[in-house]
Amino acid sequence: MQGLYVIKTNIVSYLPVFEDLNEVKSSLRRQKGYYFLIPSKNGHIQGGLLFMEVNLLNLQKTLQNNGILISFAGRFSQEIIEELGDAVKKYLETESISQNEIYNVFSVFIEQTQNIKNYSALKTDCLVREKIANSGIVTIGRSDAGHFVSSGNIMESKDSYALVQKLDIINGLDRAGLKRLYKEQMKKEMVPGSTGAGLGLIDMARKASQPLKYSIDKLDEEFHFFTLKVNI
Amino acid sequence: MQILHIESTKSTPEIHFDPISNRMQIKGQSYPENAFKFYEPLLHWLDEYLQQLEQEVLVELYFNMPYINTSSSKCMMMMLEKLDEAYQSGKKVMILWYYDEDNETAMECAEEFKEDLLVPFQITKVEDSSQ
Repeated sequence: MQGLYVIKTNIVSYLPVFEDLNEVKSSLRRQKGYYFLIPSKNGHIQGGLLFMEVNLLNLQKTLQNNGILISFAGRFSQEIIEELGDAVKKYLETESISQNEIYNVFSVFIEQTQNIKNYSALKTDCLVREKIANSGIVTIGRSDAGHFVSSGNIMESKDSYALVQKLDIINGLDRAGLKRLYKEQMKKEMVPGSTGAGLGLIDMARKASQPLKYSIDKLDEEFHFFTLKVNI
Repeated sequence: MQILHIESTKSTPEIHFDPISNRMQIKGQSYPENAFKFYEPLLHWLDEYLQQLEQEVLVELYFNMPYINTSSSKCMMMMLEKLDEAYQSGKKVMILWYYDEDNETAMECAEEFKEDLLVPFQITKVEDSSQ
């Protein structure tokens, strides 16, 4: 077999050699973790599973190289959002930045994590809801341009179009336009069953120093992965 | 009518609505799991209170909210609109909003609420609003 199949990570530390693809598949089904598959010289697939326990040093290096100070991956419960939020504030208070910047980083963090939580809660199909809820990740970091908050989550591919449209409208507006859109949205009737007010993305854009950065990666026909980066 | 009192939590403010002294207070940050569920009883209480309120009684509402997430903002707006309506129908309603001197965002947030309302709305800077 030719070509590269799946590379989820470039960190190689544990590499069992699988004799055939079926074995790879069943192994991947059995175990959760980052994995990669590469073709070996003899035409067999070589696969690797990255076990977090033995790889924390590499993981830490990856986080450091990306300027990430705080990260969490997994299901966002209200308790986790509150605890992480406190940690974010406490950490930022040790740095010499203004109260306003701390406030804005905290605020974007809350909106991003609650957005993921609210989005998963809207799904009536239990499996879809669980898949989305368990896919959340948030990172808070620092670059030359200042602090940033990034989040990611699985989304249903059918929701991508509306999301991209909304983000592009937001990114096309200046400060005054964003304020107007925020107030318009504020006056709208609530979407039945929704726990959000549809204001999160607009609010993040108002607190951002640059346009919202996002990407949507296709996972399969049904699901995409959404990444959002907000520079404060 | 009964006093509505709710203790604060990490993500919800302290609520103290007193129909005898006609003073209502909301104090603390607000980013609950479900803002609409949290604020619904407050909105109902206010509806009932404002309905029985006599024209000459002065009502004061104290707000001190260092952080409000967007869904709580929406609920605050719903609450403020009720107060605005009562004011426009001739009732003596007054809003007093306090913010920490180094929390500019809380001030901007209050000013944005004020922009869309007619009810008297006083925004006051304090040195340490947690006291």
